[in-house]
Amino acid sequence: MWRLTWVGVLGHKLRYALTAFSVLLGVAFIAGTLVLTDTIGRTFDGLFGDIYRGTAAVVRAQEPFTPQASFTSTRPRIPASLADQIRQVPGVSAVRLSIDGYAQLIGADGKAIGNPAAGAPTLGEAWNDVPSMNPYTFLPGSRPPATAAEIAIDKHSADVGKLRVGDRVRVLTQGAPASYQLVGIFRWGNADSPLGASITLFEPATASVVLGEPGKVNQIDVAAASGVSQQQMVNRLRAALHDPSLEVLTGKQITKENQDAVRKALGFFNTFLLVFALIALFVGSFLIFNTFSIVVAQRLRELALLRAVGASRRQVTLSVLGESLVIGIVASAVGLVAGIGLAIGLRQLLILFGIDIPSAGLLISSRTVLVSLGVGIVITMLAAYSPARKAGKVAPVAAMREVAVSEETRKLRRLISGCAVLAAGLALLLTGLFAHVHNRLPLVGAGAVITFLGISILGPLISRPMSRLLGAPLLSRGPIGALARNNAMRTPKRTAATAAALMIGVALVALMSVLAASTTSSVNAVVDRTMRADFVIDSGGQPGGATGFSPSLQQKLDSLPQIASSTGIRAGSVRIGDTSTVILAVNPKRIDYLFDVGVTQGSLLNLTPTGIAVSQRYANDKHLRLGSRLPVQFTTGTRNFTVQAIYTARDLAGDYVLPIAAAEQNFSQQLDFQVYVRLSQGVSAAAGRAAIQSVLADYPTAKLQDRTEYKAARTSQIDQILNLVYGLLALALFIALVGIANTLALSIHERTRELGLLRAVGMTRPQVRTTVRYEAVIMALFGTVQGLIVGVLLGWAIVAALHSQGVTVLSVPVLRLLIIAAVAAGAAVFAAIPPGRRASRLDVLAALATE
Amino acid sequence: MTATSVREPGIPFGGVAVAARMIDAIKLYGAGDTTVRALDGITAEFPAGQFTAIMGPSGSGKSTLLHCLAGLDRLTSGRVMIGDVDLNSLNDKEITVLRRRRIGFVFQSFNLVPTLTAQENIVLPLSLGGEKPEPNWFADLISALGIGNRLRHRPAELSGGQQQRVAMARALITRPDLVFADEPTGNLDSHSANELLGQMRAAVDSYHQTVVMVTHDAHAASYADRAVFLADGRIVKDLYAPTTDTVLDTVRALGG
Repeated sequence: MWRLTWVGVLGHKLRYALTAFSVLLGVAFIAGTLVLTDTIGRTFDGLFGDIYRGTAAVVRAQEPFTPQASFTSTRPRIPASLADQIRQVPGVSAVRLSIDGYAQLIGADGKAIGNPAAGAPTLGEAWNDVPSMNPYTFLPGSRPPATAAEIAIDKHSADVGKLRVGDRVRVLTQGAPASYQLVGIFRWGNADSPLGASITLFEPATASVVLGEPGKVNQIDVAAASGVSQQQMVNRLRAALHDPSLEVLTGKQITKENQDAVRKALGFFNTFLLVFALIALFVGSFLIFNTFSIVVAQRLRELALLRAVGASRRQVTLSVLGESLVIGIVASAVGLVAGIGLAIGLRQLLILFGIDIPSAGLLISSRTVLVSLGVGIVITMLAAYSPARKAGKVAPVAAMREVAVSEETRKLRRLISGCAVLAAGLALLLTGLFAHVHNRLPLVGAGAVITFLGISILGPLISRPMSRLLGAPLLSRGPIGALARNNAMRTPKRTAATAAALMIGVALVALMSVLAASTTSSVNAVVDRTMRADFVIDSGGQPGGATGFSPSLQQKLDSLPQIASSTGIRAGSVRIGDTSTVILAVNPKRIDYLFDVGVTQGSLLNLTPTGIAVSQRYANDKHLRLGSRLPVQFTTGTRNFTVQAIYTARDLAGDYVLPIAAAEQNFSQQLDFQVYVRLSQGVSAAAGRAAIQSVLADYPTAKLQDRTEYKAARTSQIDQILNLVYGLLALALFIALVGIANTLALSIHERTRELGLLRAVGMTRPQVRTTVRYEAVIMALFGTVQGLIVGVLLGWAIVAALHSQGVTVLSVPVLRLLIIAAVAAGAAVFAAIPPGRRASRLDVLAALATE
Repeated sequence: MTATSVREPGIPFGGVAVAARMIDAIKLYGAGDTTVRALDGITAEFPAGQFTAIMGPSGSGKSTLLHCLAGLDRLTSGRVMIGDVDLNSLNDKEITVLRRRRIGFVFQSFNLVPTLTAQENIVLPLSLGGEKPEPNWFADLISALGIGNRLRHRPAELSGGQQQRVAMARALITRPDLVFADEPTGNLDSHSANELLGQMRAAVDSYHQTVVMVTHDAHAASYADRAVFLADGRIVKDLYAPTTDTVLDTVRALGG
């Protein structure tokens, strides 16, 4: 039987090549992603290993609670004076005081270097003269900062900002903007910078003021004398310090913690790309299923003959399954190789986005090889399983005559099984979206996959009427249109399976479009309803992130005569009850001029430094009233607050708001991520803008936005994400279109004789091509219409699920969806070109003579 | 029944319009030692309004002659004229349009597009050119062929004889210069075959239709005005007013 398998594969090279292509693309994506992330991971393992080589132990504060935002920490600083105590511990050879915080470099062109909101962080650190624990290697002609007026920066930032030793460089910190003399440029281990982060080194005393708090440090690194092990050092330190609020780690542990952090960051990237690879393979599996179904149908007589001469069902099934195995192996192997090429391309893309990756050989792990080959082969064989079984079920008499199968019972079975699968998928999906479960994503993902399967099982039942409907306008085109429509209708299962692949891609695109449009509308609605400010000055950072403006910006703005009122919005990680969250702090005296938060009880105006405002909903949930006590845990400790106001606009402010005074006392970082401004009466927008701009000259990260611009900026972030997702989903759409071309090629092969007849009685070549094109468009529209319906419904469900997250408006971007439909139909026209050309070039006589 | 008793004798060469003509036709297949001369210098005229049967053993070139004459295949050398149009001077598109407008086809089997109804199949050559049938002509045809109650059916719902009659209607709908029939009765039972042959005969007699039919069946040939015998790519006998007996005699004489 193996011989038959080989002959089967070789005999259908083209159609199998197209099928294999879809597997190849998906596998290449998987392999590329894995190779890239492995390579980056290994590079950073090495870097951190080098950097912490001299560190025997680290002393720092315990993290009081895990913050809500990723890659941030709630760890408080520790007193610098601990260093003296540590130096007394036997075996300590050196101590390094580590201070870090927000520092934004400004390049020679006046623009901020790096954007921490969309990439690697911009950090400031204290220079420490302990050679064994120093990760920095200074370039020739440069030196570390020695005075308060000097800094040194990493090579990556120097290159990006075109900065040279001797330049005056502006740096934004939580203090007022200041200029420093650039005295040194360094590398971090053998990298230009860690993952493209920008690093500014200050002289230690300066660092403690501009980056943190005077007299405090983030952590203390300890080097041990020779003969003292890391664990011994840690034990001695623990004994000597004897403070449960402190944490003492070995150098190995801190190395691993940093390596894990990089791996976690890569994990997001990894998951993101792998999801798209799996979508591509899922779509591709429809293509495989379809190809095998058609090939089996075409070879029905041959298979029946095999059965007639004595092949068992099992043997026939295995021979077809064997073909899928061969294709799976070949496609996955080529895909693996292509993926290694893709990894190189992706690395260049990351570098383009400012993520610095030290060059190193690509790491192709055995896991990459196994996963890529395994996934490719398993998906191919799974998709081919049902056609292979069908091949085994061919009755031997079919070799002699056409055997009709009863359609009716099959239709009923299909309806029942399709509805059952669809219901199961929807149940999973809705549970994932609406039930109170812990890990929603796997449920939603599996639910979506099963929902799509259910719809594609039902597809053949509606494909005939849908093709009839969608093809109706073509009837005005005469017999060509009628032929195209009838061709699309004659093999409903084939049409449905081809359309299903497109349906999935279009549904995901439509879903993302609805989600993005709804989010945009919701944001706009909130801004329209609640914002009274004339201007927003935005730092580009996220609430609770490590970036923002020094509070000096708001103070300077407030002193302008053109400005009636302003407040900075400060944010910090806190824990309230069992929930880690980010809390906002505002100036309560000004808020009424700037926002309409809908205060129903109490007053924000009278919020004292120990007062808190909570949302109506939170108050109801937790049975809070004016005067209730609400403990809030900060990184610096827990404080008791008194509820002094209750408001309704939780989509703007969240569930709790603090006065700035409370933030100043309790937040570890004093950065405003936004400043809201209202102009004095009689000041024109233009005059106000000019006045604000004059202050902003010192703050290059600041973006001044009026209400319209503010909304547009929020919207453009959503659009950027949407475009990225569109780009990746284009892969799935491309595979679906390959599927259309494949199905058409096979159908044309079946209809060779009919085409010969049509050509003989006077159909011209362009007319043949047009027929094929119309058929492609009908199939594409069928898939697109299904996809749009499914996508909009799923989008609606997800928007409903996100209601509590502030997505309150359902918005269906009709124009955009119509454009998607038009693009899909247009692309189908392209997909129809190769099969159309083949059909039109058939030799009339040879075609007529075909059996 | 002898067909000769109910029809005019064949119209001789000259003086009458010629529907199609083949001049010094040579058609080679393959190359080198394996070259096959399917047509080996054939010159023939097919006068308008005449029913010609082309006969000959397998491999005699009769199908090739038909294909070249019908513009489905091109000669290696020589010329084919449909009316006064030289097929050599036409490109693929022009030949296609010529086939659509001026030539009708009836094949042995698989004559109809399975996804179109009988009516759609009949008017296909017209509708491909964006034209509509003359209502009277269409009505005449379907009543003469007896398929009026089958127009909405798909080919799969028609019997073999009905399918061939639908094909005949399609061949005649454009009032072509020529109808080519390639073994049209090859797959039919004798009753349906006689019916179809009678209808072809009637088309010649009533509408002055020119018909060229390839067949190996002496009985079918007896419906024609003239039987042309081919062997090894040459015309070996031109028999006027053939009967089943004279055809069989000729076949025996040539074969033996």
